[in-house]
Amino acid sequence: MDLFDRINKLKEEGLDQIKQAENQKMLDKIRVELMGRKGELTEILHSMKDIAPENRPKVGQEVNQVRDILQKQLDEAKDHFLQAVIAKKLEEEKIDVTLPGREGHLGSKHPINIILDDLESYFIGMGYEVVQGPEIETDHYCFEMMNLPKDHPARDMQATFYIDEEDLLRTQTSGDQARVLEKHDFSKGPLKMVGPGKVYRRDDDDATHSHQFQQMEGLVVDKNVTMSDLKGTLEMIAKHVFGQDRKTRLRPSYFPFTEPSVEMDVSCFNCNGKGCPICKYTGWIEVLGAGMVHPNVLENAGVDSTVYGGFAFGLGLDRFAILKYGISDIRDFYTNDVRFLEQFRKEEN
Amino acid sequence: MLVSYNWLKDFLNLSEDPKDLGEKITRTGVEIASVVHPAEGLKKLVVGHVIECEDIEGTHLHKCQVDVGEDEPIQIVCGAPNVAAGEDVIVALHGARIAGNEKIKRGKIRGIKSNGMICGLQEIGFADKVVPPKYADGIFVFPKDSDVKPGEDVYEALGMNDYILDFDITPNRADTLSMEGAAYEVGAIVDEKTKVEPVVLKADGPDWTDELDVKVDEKLAPKFYLRKVSNVKIGESPLWMQRRLWNAGIRPINNVVDVTNYVMLLTGQPLHAYDARTFKDGKLEVRKANKGEKLTLLNDKEVELDPNDIIITDGEKPVMMAGVMGGKNSEVEDSTTDVILESAIFDGTSVRQSALRHANRTEASSRFEKGVNWDNTQKALDMAALLLRNDAAATVNEGEIKATDVQRNPSVVKTTVSYINKVLGTELTRVEMKKIFDRLGFTAGGSEDELIVTVPNRRWDISIPADLVEEVGRIYGYDNLKSTQPLLAETHGGYSEKETAMRRIKDIVQGQGLMEAISYSLTSPEKAISFTKDPKSVVEVQWPLNSSRSTMRENLITGLVDAASYNMARKQKELALFEQGRVYDHENNSFNEHEHLAALYSGHTLSANWQHLDQKIDFYFVKGQLTNLFRALGIKDADVEYRAEVIGGMHPTRTAGIYIKDQYVGLIGMLAHTVTTLDKALRGSEIYVYEIDLDLITSMLDKGMKAKAAPKFPAIERDLSLLVPNAITNAKIEAQIKLNGGKYLHDIRVIDVYSGSQIESGHKSISYSLTFLNEKDTLTDEVVAKAMEKVEAALKESLKIKVR
Repeated sequence: MDLFDRINKLKEEGLDQIKQAENQKMLDKIRVELMGRKGELTEILHSMKDIAPENRPKVGQEVNQVRDILQKQLDEAKDHFLQAVIAKKLEEEKIDVTLPGREGHLGSKHPINIILDDLESYFIGMGYEVVQGPEIETDHYCFEMMNLPKDHPARDMQATFYIDEEDLLRTQTSGDQARVLEKHDFSKGPLKMVGPGKVYRRDDDDATHSHQFQQMEGLVVDKNVTMSDLKGTLEMIAKHVFGQDRKTRLRPSYFPFTEPSVEMDVSCFNCNGKGCPICKYTGWIEVLGAGMVHPNVLENAGVDSTVYGGFAFGLGLDRFAILKYGISDIRDFYTNDVRFLEQFRKEEN
Repeated sequence: MLVSYNWLKDFLNLSEDPKDLGEKITRTGVEIASVVHPAEGLKKLVVGHVIECEDIEGTHLHKCQVDVGEDEPIQIVCGAPNVAAGEDVIVALHGARIAGNEKIKRGKIRGIKSNGMICGLQEIGFADKVVPPKYADGIFVFPKDSDVKPGEDVYEALGMNDYILDFDITPNRADTLSMEGAAYEVGAIVDEKTKVEPVVLKADGPDWTDELDVKVDEKLAPKFYLRKVSNVKIGESPLWMQRRLWNAGIRPINNVVDVTNYVMLLTGQPLHAYDARTFKDGKLEVRKANKGEKLTLLNDKEVELDPNDIIITDGEKPVMMAGVMGGKNSEVEDSTTDVILESAIFDGTSVRQSALRHANRTEASSRFEKGVNWDNTQKALDMAALLLRNDAAATVNEGEIKATDVQRNPSVVKTTVSYINKVLGTELTRVEMKKIFDRLGFTAGGSEDELIVTVPNRRWDISIPADLVEEVGRIYGYDNLKSTQPLLAETHGGYSEKETAMRRIKDIVQGQGLMEAISYSLTSPEKAISFTKDPKSVVEVQWPLNSSRSTMRENLITGLVDAASYNMARKQKELALFEQGRVYDHENNSFNEHEHLAALYSGHTLSANWQHLDQKIDFYFVKGQLTNLFRALGIKDADVEYRAEVIGGMHPTRTAGIYIKDQYVGLIGMLAHTVTTLDKALRGSEIYVYEIDLDLITSMLDKGMKAKAAPKFPAIERDLSLLVPNAITNAKIEAQIKLNGGKYLHDIRVIDVYSGSQIESGHKSISYSLTFLNEKDTLTDEVVAKAMEKVEAALKESLKIKVR
């Protein structure tokens, strides 16, 4: 038989055997027979010396070609068996992805603090320092320094928890203003601060009153701070919290520590100003109080009111949260019902 | 203050729609809480004249024939006790709408035809508190002088074709607590001249000023004027006055009382009318009360007077609490003929304190405490006398007694045009500002930049330049101010270091799955010091709302336990809550506030699941959370120590004090059974808590950090199994291992704890995994083996522990 016929026959037989292999083991055996050291193809290569020199390159070429073809077939067959094994294993590992996962605890921020954090970062961005003052305050800082001497009728506006003659639970965060004004060194620059915190009033708790709630105080004092600056600042806050499309209005009000004093209303987000039970049919909702710092407050803190002046504002964080989230009972903030609290997870900021 | 739009028109040419006017006043002066049209929603209410009225036998009903301006009278069945022939009454015709949107239809009552309804004032929308006592339990009857005709609408006659503006007055604007004051304010706002008529009174009776010897302390009553009117006929006031009163929220009583109230509404000056028989001894004194003196007020309240109360006496006993309320013993009654009228200014602070002290605030006291117009004392007195002559047929006696008469000068405030512009951020001219002062009725003098402004006494709220800034600002209109941002030198905003650290701590625990709670700082005295290692002296408020909110908390856990109780009572048993807030104490003569963090866990570490991999919360789960918190803050494990401790409210054998570098910073553990069994909602639950002092912890934190490369050499782990007497704690063993493990001992982990039948009794088996690491070189087995030998020897030697 011609050597080339023999090679060709080996190829045909080899391909046939590979095709008939039933598993990886049979395939391994076939590989050894065809390609192994003792296989016929190897034998042909080993017996090259018996071949006429001019034929050697061609034979070599032919053998290698056949080896490549068989190797490719072997690889393909092997891969086929491997795939089958993997498929079987994966089928065994199959799970129902629609069953529920194991849920750990999921934290949440209190709604009042969501409002607070948002406002704080807003003011910090505008260069305000965040200042914390004591909740157990003296009559001196809470009232007298704020232009509310004893027997001032406006003290009746705030029922106070007194601890003794001089000490009390602060009814407003305004005391922080006096403390900061006393300390601030105006030669080092303007004063811009916000002071958030808990305050207390001697009110019975009901849907709209709480003996404890949270306020934020703001104060900007320098040589050229105007009421127009106050208006611009308040409008930005109101729009930031309640939406850019809100209308705002300032109306005259009264606080002993500011003169002039104003309150800011925003157009009712429920009825858009047409009038509804939420805005008591006025179309407006009161959101904060503000004004130009009263000269007595500046002078009481040792600041020359003929040189320096500025504005102050105070807002209720509970009230902001009530308005923003449509909460109907202020007590919901303090009973800590997890079914109430958990809904604020999505409001994280 | 309820201000009638129609009454305002006495003073001003008003053309604005009342609601638009309300909005304008709100934006410029005083908040208008509401504008109410009393006739709104009412229909087919007419005057009826009762021609015949007969009792229906066996009932309380009456069958009435009523002329309602039609060809024939209509028949109406009426149950009111005071219906009678000859009366002019309010009739709701068939198809009428009365208060509450109720519709009236013709029908039959007890088989008798009734073609409408005769109404009381409440039925057409009047508040109970303004209905004259005479008509409180029946129908309203028009006074004889009313000039009403059958068939015409009742709204005009009853003052319901009006708009009532509710002036929600701030304490500084008490000048608008009168019609005149309100009119001046509205006039300035709409730029209309306000016409206020003077009173001209001519006496027509004999001089009376010799009859009374009056003694008044000028400090208590700087102005004290009296007049006398005689031969008064007590009766009903004319309808025009009654409707002005009830539209202002004041109940008409009789012609004398009504006049004093009416004049107060008009001028803002509270008046009082005494029966002249009160002073039969010819003496009247204004003084402070003596201890032990008593007075029964007009509202039948008997009060024990305080030495700080100002009173009016008849020379002996009190007959009036000055500025607050008259005494029953000087009241004007039906039998009264002569009346002494008092128009006075009392010390506002004293009046306010008296009203508060006796819980008896009145229209009068609220005006005195906020201030009244010193220029209206005379006018009010004369006006009242004049009206009594008209309404009660009184004779006005010649002369008046002015026991005190301190004058107050109008205040003069100096400022500059430039100052006002600087504060407002405006560029108004002197002329524009002058015009604004004009509208307000102030006179502005001075020249160039200077402004010298004279303010009439009726605006006693104005005394400093800043007050003028407000007047100019509001009348110019806050709507007209520009909206600008302060143009200031740069400032660096931000949080304090401590605040930054606390915020990070809150973020971490929230990331650990805790829900943030906020509780009340005030709690009960017991709860305030529960869950607290060494309770300090507490902070208590003087007049608590109730005993469960009397004391400032010294711990946060108590609030979380309240929250747990609330939730568990509502079947919410899986809880993971935290609170960051302050605790308070009164120690070393000062009030102290400390920032704390507390957490509360109950239920499972994972929600109950179908794989049954849920694990109950226990001490070690909570401790692990806390360990992670400390690690995240850069506090070294080695610096943190847990010492078993007994603390009030906490489980005595499952609680530890937490120490960082030997300093007590808080506690961790399970709530005591004594706490959970007392509360039905908590009963049977295992609740774990921790509380740490953030003042201390934030002060311990390292500031900033330097990065280190990850170790380049492999670590070697060795396990160590020990048989340990039960009394020996893990902490003791770890301390020995650390002491003897050599410098390459990097980490110790407990991997197993077992006690049970397989083990010698009184013992437990603990297994540790020790990690050794040399950061600079490869560790050899020999070095590690040597270290392990040393550790094992030390454990055997010092703790009598067997290595297994």
